[in-house]
Amino acid sequence: MHVVYPAVVAALLFSIGVYGVLARRNTILVLMSVELMLNAVNLNLIAFDVWLRDVLHSGQVLTLFVIVIAAAEVGIGLAIVLAVFRTRKAIELDRLRDLGEP
Amino acid sequence: MSVLLVVLLAVPLLGAAALLVPGPLGKAAVRFGILVSGVVFAVSVAAASVFDYADAGSIQGNVDFAWIPGLGVRFHLGIDGISLPLVVLTALLTLLCFVYLAGHEPERAREFVFALLLLELGMLGTFLSLDLLLFFVFFEVVLIPMYFVIAIWGGPGRRAAAYKFILYTLLGSAVLLVGLLFVWAQTGTLDMVRLAAEHPMSRSAQILAFVAIGLGLAVKTPMWPLHTWLPDAHTEAPTVGSVLLAGVLLKMGTYGFARVAIPILPEGAAAVAPWLGALAVVGIVYGALACLAQRDLKRLIAYSSVGHMGFVLLGFATLTPVGINAALYGNVAHGLITGLLFFLVGALKERHGTADLDQLGSGLLGRLPYVGSLLTFACVASLGLPGLAGFWGEMLALQGAYEPAAGLPRPLFLTFMVIGGLGAVLTAAYFLVMLSKVTHGPWGGPGPGLKDATRVELTAWVPLVVLILVFGLWPSALLGLTTPAVQSLLGVP
Amino acid sequence: MIAALIVVLPFAGALLGLLLSRYPHGRSPAENLAANKRAAWFGVVPTALSAALIGWLAWENTPSTNVLTVIDTGGISITVGLEVTELSVLTAMLVGVVALAVQVYSVGYMRGESRYPSFSAFISLFTSAMLLVVFAADLMVLYVGWEIMGLCSYLLVGHWWEERANSRAAIKAFLVTRLGDVGFLFGIFVLGFAADSFRISDILAADIPQSTLVLATLLLLAGVAGKSAQVPLHTWLPDAMAGPTPISALIHAATMVAAGIFVVARLYVLFPQPTLDVLGVAAAIGMLGAALAAFAQNDLKRVLAYSTISQLAYMAAALAGGARDAAVFHLVTHGAFKALLFLCAGAVIHHVGSNLLHHMGGLRRSMPVTFWTMTIGYAALIGLPPASGFFSKDAILYGLERSTSPIQLLLYGSALLTVGVTGAYATRAWLMTFFGTGKIQALPEPAPGTAHIFDGREAPPSMLWPLGVLAVPALLLGFTDVGEFHLAPAVTALVVALLGAAFVYVVWRGSPERDPARLLGAFRDPCEQAFYVDRLYAALFVRPVLALARGVVRTDDGVVDGAVRGSGRATVGLSGLLRHLQNGNAQLYVTGVLAGVLLIAVGAVMLG
Repeated sequence: MHVVYPAVVAALLFSIGVYGVLARRNTILVLMSVELMLNAVNLNLIAFDVWLRDVLHSGQVLTLFVIVIAAAEVGIGLAIVLAVFRTRKAIELDRLRDLGEP
Repeated sequence: MSVLLVVLLAVPLLGAAALLVPGPLGKAAVRFGILVSGVVFAVSVAAASVFDYADAGSIQGNVDFAWIPGLGVRFHLGIDGISLPLVVLTALLTLLCFVYLAGHEPERAREFVFALLLLELGMLGTFLSLDLLLFFVFFEVVLIPMYFVIAIWGGPGRRAAAYKFILYTLLGSAVLLVGLLFVWAQTGTLDMVRLAAEHPMSRSAQILAFVAIGLGLAVKTPMWPLHTWLPDAHTEAPTVGSVLLAGVLLKMGTYGFARVAIPILPEGAAAVAPWLGALAVVGIVYGALACLAQRDLKRLIAYSSVGHMGFVLLGFATLTPVGINAALYGNVAHGLITGLLFFLVGALKERHGTADLDQLGSGLLGRLPYVGSLLTFACVASLGLPGLAGFWGEMLALQGAYEPAAGLPRPLFLTFMVIGGLGAVLTAAYFLVMLSKVTHGPWGGPGPGLKDATRVELTAWVPLVVLILVFGLWPSALLGLTTPAVQSLLGVP
Repeated sequence: MIAALIVVLPFAGALLGLLLSRYPHGRSPAENLAANKRAAWFGVVPTALSAALIGWLAWENTPSTNVLTVIDTGGISITVGLEVTELSVLTAMLVGVVALAVQVYSVGYMRGESRYPSFSAFISLFTSAMLLVVFAADLMVLYVGWEIMGLCSYLLVGHWWEERANSRAAIKAFLVTRLGDVGFLFGIFVLGFAADSFRISDILAADIPQSTLVLATLLLLAGVAGKSAQVPLHTWLPDAMAGPTPISALIHAATMVAAGIFVVARLYVLFPQPTLDVLGVAAAIGMLGAALAAFAQNDLKRVLAYSTISQLAYMAAALAGGARDAAVFHLVTHGAFKALLFLCAGAVIHHVGSNLLHHMGGLRRSMPVTFWTMTIGYAALIGLPPASGFFSKDAILYGLERSTSPIQLLLYGSALLTVGVTGAYATRAWLMTFFGTGKIQALPEPAPGTAHIFDGREAPPSMLWPLGVLAVPALLLGFTDVGEFHLAPAVTALVVALLGAAFVYVVWRGSPERDPARLLGAFRDPCEQAFYVDRLYAALFVRPVLALARGVVRTDDGVVDGAVRGSGRATVGLSGLLRHLQNGNAQLYVTGVLAGVLLIAVGAVMLG
């Protein structure tokens, strides 16, 4: 199949992920959207790896890297969300403004 | 000679570095400072004696090697008739400051001496460097030690004064840097000597560069209306800080005009000169009027510096040999005279705890005859009395304004001359009124009181008095140095 | 060479006097006495030597020029040199004799003063500066001496600086003359650039267009008016009487004020008719106004001060009318008799303890020497034969009568009227001082720094000898020029003068205890206040300048520095605005990143 189909799907997935990151209030949903974006990127990498017939399969290798890093990142992210919930009883992203100017 | 120039810079640097070695120092710090600055002064006198006076117009003692080859920045030093007097003046004033400190030990003496030695390095480097970026580096180096001198050893309002001083002059330096980089971009070289000889920039580029460089130097000079950092800085700075600030740092700004702005950008200078002259003359009258209404003695002398630098800038604005001679002469004279003034006022402030005219009392000539007479002498010198050093700078500047360079609007400059003359009368007025308030008036008769000038203080002051007399009665001593240099600067045969 | 010695000797005396009088240093009464003695030597000896050398120059009578060096300023070079001319020698003779007389006189007048060393040193410095002016070969060198005289005037008028009034008088003297000096400097520039040299001989020989000459000489007149106390820059002279009487004699009678007249005489060929007319008008106003003011004064020294202004205006009128030699002649005679009058006044004041005329009276019996010398002085002032003033006034009046100036009538009429008023005020002062009943009052112990002491006798010999020495030229100098004597103007002048004198005498005789000036009636106050010129200047210049100064300080603080401080506040405000972007919302930040990336991508696509 032509590379267009996976590329478009990846783009759509990425857009949904971006929407999720920018517009959702629940932090866990934001983390899920980040996962969505990363997986869209993975899809893109595989598709182009096949289409370009890369000898080194660098696309697939990079995908493996991304999967591992995404997993680690989600682990830490969820741990932070849990800690924040325990102290503040809230995980709405727009209520966590401690780094802002008074 | 080249060796001497390098030594001039190395000695303060090594002296400052030596102070970084940890260990108790106490009183020896100031004595060490006297030693180092004495060595520097001796080297500068040696340089003055080795100097070829018949060839004062050309650069002597060239030191030129690559410093940052990738950028094309070279470590280029040299001295000629314009910088030699300023170098000796700097070395002398620093030495006298250390001598004065020996009689008035400051707290944290080691840090103070360190700051002053770094200051001396920056001042000497500015006068010796012949590469634009090297000049700028030394120009900036003086700001940090001066900031600390004011901020740590100053008066009650020292924080604000120090902030204002450093931020304002840094802003000026930023504009200066833009100008210098613009010159570099246009010509591809940073060497002052080559730039002065070749003038490779177009007229509009020169005007732009002159405005940028001029603005940066004008903050340092200081030129009206960029002068408001000076009164606060002087009021709050310690005596020695004021002496060096007025005696040398202000000269760096005007020296920049003589070394960088006018030789490298002659057409730019010719285009901007009327504005320069106008602002200079406003400064003369404005400074004089502000002095008339001042209550604080140090603030008064700060505003008088604005007025004197106005005469210097007027001399530059005429772009004639006479005018630039006047400016250079006025530079040296102002350094000596205002240095002496600040020494004296500092002594008064330390004895009375205040520099406020209303609280100093009256009849100083009776209570402290030596200080009072020297104060009268310094004020009389500062108002430009013939026979003392200040006269030649003022008179020659007015003479230059009478007949400015061809191409400059003569009626405008004649107006400047008249206003400058009136400014001179106002200068006399405020000094005499101030003297009347402080040195004249009832004083309660002889008896025990404050100590008159001590031996240490007199050792610091008498060289300045002698030099003021010498340069007043024998102007050729200085004019013989600067005239050939000025003529080669302007390209006059 | 000799001229150089003449100028340098008093300068050396001044330096030595300032530095070495009090060596070893100390201010105990015994050390003060030793210092005063040493200072007296430092003061008198160089001046005497200088005067002797001047005498020798006068004897030799050969003009010469002596150039030390040429200062190359990059523009018009300045020649440091001295030139001996007939006029210079004559004036120098006057300066030397009067300076010597004053130095000797001061030894007695300032006896016991702790500040005598600096006093005599400054007198020496002043003498040196005046001799520099007289012998200068170059206008810039002349200007140097000119201004140094101004400084010495400040230092000496303010000698008793414990009194604020003296301090103010000193400042006024310096500032008014300095204002004139600025004009003088500009005049020198005009002349120097026109002749391409500052040397007087070059300027006199150069071919300068008329309009330039008018401008230059008008500017020079500003300085002359300042130094020679002509209208409108005359207001400093009466107040300068606050200084000790010896310096009034030296500076304000015989020498410094004469410097202005000297310069006009020296550069006389350069002065075109328009400038001379201006000078003449000012002189005409000045001589009559000052004479009237002198008539109404209560203070003896102020009478003499206004008299000086009036007599200087006389000389200026002579110069304006074209009678240069008459003016110079009167300069010399006036120097002698005015110095004599001031020194005598000093002796009287020393004796009585007060300057005021109504504290004096009947002194001719207790002070005979002073009486006779002062009478000679007054006779010279009025112009009675055979005193020198008679001959010099005659010369001036003759010159004015035959003058070709457009304002000749004004000058001559004014001069004649002034002769009469001069007779009046001189007689009034003479009568009130020496005749009538004595009104000497014992004063309380003088405050430190004042020399008014009540003395029951004639002045000490060190004060009397100079009086005698000066009385001789005051009496006999007229006979040196006897060949130029003209009978008609002399008789006219004598008659008018005697009329004035007789009028006052008759009024005085009527009631010897009352002041003859009461005749002026309501006009007396304006005369005494010198027609309120002082108040006018204070309102026109002094107060506005001080108000402007305060305004400048406020502007500097509010506007200029306000802009600087405002820039700081603006920066902080701007950063406050920007801080609103940092509201802590992470999603906002990411949105910003996204927007930036999009912009860059679009830009890359469109530009690449």
